[in-house]
Amino acid sequence: MKKIIFTSLALLTLFFACKDDDTVPAGPVEGDLTGIPYAPKSYTLTNPQGFPSMLIPEDNPMTEEGVDLGRRLFYDPILSVDSTLSCAGCHQLEYSFNDNKAISPGVQNLMGTRSSMSLINIGFADNGLFWDGRVKSLEEQALHPVENPVEMAEVWGNVEVKLQRHKDYPALFRKAFGIENKADITRELAAKAIAQFERTLISSNSRFDKKFYKNDPDPFLLSDLEIDGYAIYFDDLTNTAKGGHCAHCHDGGPLLTSDAYFNNAIENVSSLDDFPDNGLGTVTGKRTDNGKFRAPSLRNIELTAPYMHDGRFLTLEEVVDHYNSGGHWVENVNSQSINQLNLTEYEKQALVAFLKTFTDTTFFTNPAFQNPFK
Amino acid sequence: MKKLLFILLFAPVFFTACDDDEVLGPTTTVNLNFKAVYDGKPLVSISDKYLYPDDKQVKFQAFNFYISDVVLIEGETGDEAELVDIEFVDFSDNTTPVEAETPVSFTKQRVPAGKYAGVRIGFGVPTDLNTATANQFGSGHPLRKTYNTHFWTDWESFIFMKIEGVYDKDGNGFDGNDPGFGHHPGTNEVYREVTLSRNIELKEGQPFNLNLVVDVRKLYEVNGDYLDLSNPANLYTHNPNDLTIAKYLMDNFSQAIVLE
Repeated sequence: MKKIIFTSLALLTLFFACKDDDTVPAGPVEGDLTGIPYAPKSYTLTNPQGFPSMLIPEDNPMTEEGVDLGRRLFYDPILSVDSTLSCAGCHQLEYSFNDNKAISPGVQNLMGTRSSMSLINIGFADNGLFWDGRVKSLEEQALHPVENPVEMAEVWGNVEVKLQRHKDYPALFRKAFGIENKADITRELAAKAIAQFERTLISSNSRFDKKFYKNDPDPFLLSDLEIDGYAIYFDDLTNTAKGGHCAHCHDGGPLLTSDAYFNNAIENVSSLDDFPDNGLGTVTGKRTDNGKFRAPSLRNIELTAPYMHDGRFLTLEEVVDHYNSGGHWVENVNSQSINQLNLTEYEKQALVAFLKTFTDTTFFTNPAFQNPFK
Repeated sequence: MKKLLFILLFAPVFFTACDDDEVLGPTTTVNLNFKAVYDGKPLVSISDKYLYPDDKQVKFQAFNFYISDVVLIEGETGDEAELVDIEFVDFSDNTTPVEAETPVSFTKQRVPAGKYAGVRIGFGVPTDLNTATANQFGSGHPLRKTYNTHFWTDWESFIFMKIEGVYDKDGNGFDGNDPGFGHHPGTNEVYREVTLSRNIELKEGQPFNLNLVVDVRKLYEVNGDYLDLSNPANLYTHNPNDLTIAKYLMDNFSQAIVLE
């Protein structure tokens, strides 16, 4: 009997051990690529008026070939375990590179815990990425979703082999990075290409931009309601009696984010130890960082509902109501920004109206951002 | 003729190469070490509470400021040795006593050795740098790194200092009913310079520590007079047409900072 159990266990072990081998392509794929010309053309990024300098790593200069490869990888479900989910699955252009879901589903509808973040102007971020700031660069960020068990659920070793075996990718990696052999395709190069593409996702054509950064002479570009909203947003006390304190977390000039981390009082907890998701605190290990999340850019905020890291608010009106109420105080809530505002209905409407001036619809029609496989 | 051509060609190269080494005499390294305290006690953000001059309690959630044009002043000639062009001093993440005891430090190498009579420190962003175009600085520049958090678009100015916290107005412990305060002085009018007199002797090759301590309580209190936080009008400094509080706080740097 023991022998039967042993044999059964051994067979089971063997079966599971072999399962990976059935689906995982064997080892790196060799193949000389030196016959393909390598002459990358520098990609010229034009910073819109008022935008900060983009911080591009010295070891990943932007090239047209790199951006093109990155766009393909971004839209290609080859990165996921069952080839059903690409980066664009959670970062859809029509939703401002968001997915309009409270929680973004991964492959096989596996559910994570957070909403996807918009990628608009993400190349200007300089203080960590993801809601909890756990990575420092776009190159590092691009590595994570592939192996996240509730996102793409793949392993990079498999992806590398799939790319090496692919009919198009070896030549594209050659053109972008000058590799000499198919086996030289690595996860790091894939991540670099995706990062290059993401740095091109610049939006600067909202009415807010036109009014404050492009000197548009149209006196009616913003309505009176929107201008009143501006005063509340920026605590412009020369023109409003009440500040909304919005810009303390969402200024940054045209970026509309401080790029910093806050507990914005959405969680009704009795102490710093009670958050369902500790956010930044998980990364830093500091109790006082528990419940803090990255303040996202408000650009195109009209189109990126639902809101907050867990998508709890469905509309901008709900968001404004939350901040107007002061939310739930606990000791790391930034009290100077988040407290009862006592905005009137008109003031709340004005604020929402102003938030909608951040919408840039031209961003969605840019062919350079669209799916290259369609 | 060939010799002359050689000299003309290579002289610029030589001078360019020497730019960083323009201090030709003996030099040493100077470390500027900043600590923040409240009434002499280490300033611990978020968790620790402190006694305000009106005997109410306050907690702090952020404290940071820019220093600029920091120089050592030579005693006899008045010559200056630059220590800092501009830097950002941030104590906001000091949320434990250990962190609060660890100074925020900046190092300047190749400072001319010699005798100095003191140090001059600018508090804030100097006029020539206080523009929206500061966001064009490269990676690592203090104004690029802090642009998103400290450039206040509506004023077209950096916020020179941030002090944020909560004031236990009703005296029953901290909760959501207590007012927060956010003192964010900015604009060119509130830039301040402070000179701290002290005989300082820098000896060649011997690193020197300049230990500076800022007492936050002294930013709020002068000779028994203090900023009344029970008055809602004193909780913020957002009105660029009324710089009274902003000037009060920035003026008080002269008494709040001490060279140990």
